[in-house]
Amino acid sequence: MNRSLAERSASRARPDASWQVMMQAAIREVFQLMVGTDIQPADPPPESPSGGVSAMVGMAGALCGVLRLRCSEQTAVSIATKMLGGHEPGALSDTCDAIGEISNMVAGNFKAKIAGLCDACMLSVPTVVVGVDYDVYSLASPERVEVSMTYEGQPLWVGLEISS
Amino acid sequence: MKGIRVLIVDDSAVMRKIVERCLRQAGIDVKEVIEAANGVEGLAAVQQGPMDLILSDINMPAMDGLEFLQGLRGLDNAKNTPVVMITTEGSESRVVEALSAGARGYIRKPFTPDQVKERVSPLLDGAR
Ligand SMILES: [Mg+2]
Repeated sequence: MNRSLAERSASRARPDASWQVMMQAAIREVFQLMVGTDIQPADPPPESPSGGVSAMVGMAGALCGVLRLRCSEQTAVSIATKMLGGHEPGALSDTCDAIGEISNMVAGNFKAKIAGLCDACMLSVPTVVVGVDYDVYSLASPERVEVSMTYEGQPLWVGLEISS
Repeated sequence: MKGIRVLIVDDSAVMRKIVERCLRQAGIDVKEVIEAANGVEGLAAVQQGPMDLILSDINMPAMDGLEFLQGLRGLDNAKNTPVVMITTEGSESRVVEALSAGARGYIRKPFTPDQVKERVSPLLDGAR
């Protein structure tokens, strides 16, 4: 952690109502620029996130937590295909790679929109999990920002769990 | 500049393909693209032969983009090669760090092909 990050992280960023709107904007921009698709907030949002592909990006500094993006494998393949200029990914690893990068860009774009966060928070390399049969445990009961979107009629969920 | 050799360093294979596509869409005459998944592979590729342009991610396992920039300084093959960082890390301190380590430009992900053209083309025009 460099010095300015340590200094700035002394003042923790706290979520407010604007964060959900910022998250939606961050997701939409990433999809417009890198996938070429306009995605919208889900209305009404689904009761719980679903889908077999989950990408996670750690955030550390003025905000400590994990951003998680979840969608079905079919949706993930569609996103990867568009990112590859219409070529379907040859292997599941390419699909995971694409979804990992999307989550990374969403996290980066989101923090750039929050005053004081861009310079004071760093991102981890993304991790992608395939499968639906897993649980996520957090040590503290975290604050959350959750956003449900619709990608070509299919659900895509992004959650930011803020610890500490 | 005609028929350039480009090195694209990113841990994401999908992102390497997107960057290559953006260069071609920008009308840059790309003769050869060499891909590397991290700084170690990137330095090895430069040692094999000089590049006309290097585009590098920052957040990568094994060797990140800033260490890669430092490694390039020690290579004669890289003396006149412009390096542009392409990264999600948009913080001012990271930009300053990359530029002072020798990068000639900085593009924040997500990006448009126009942004790639805007940052890369002037570096190529002045290169020869
Ligand atoms: Mg990366």
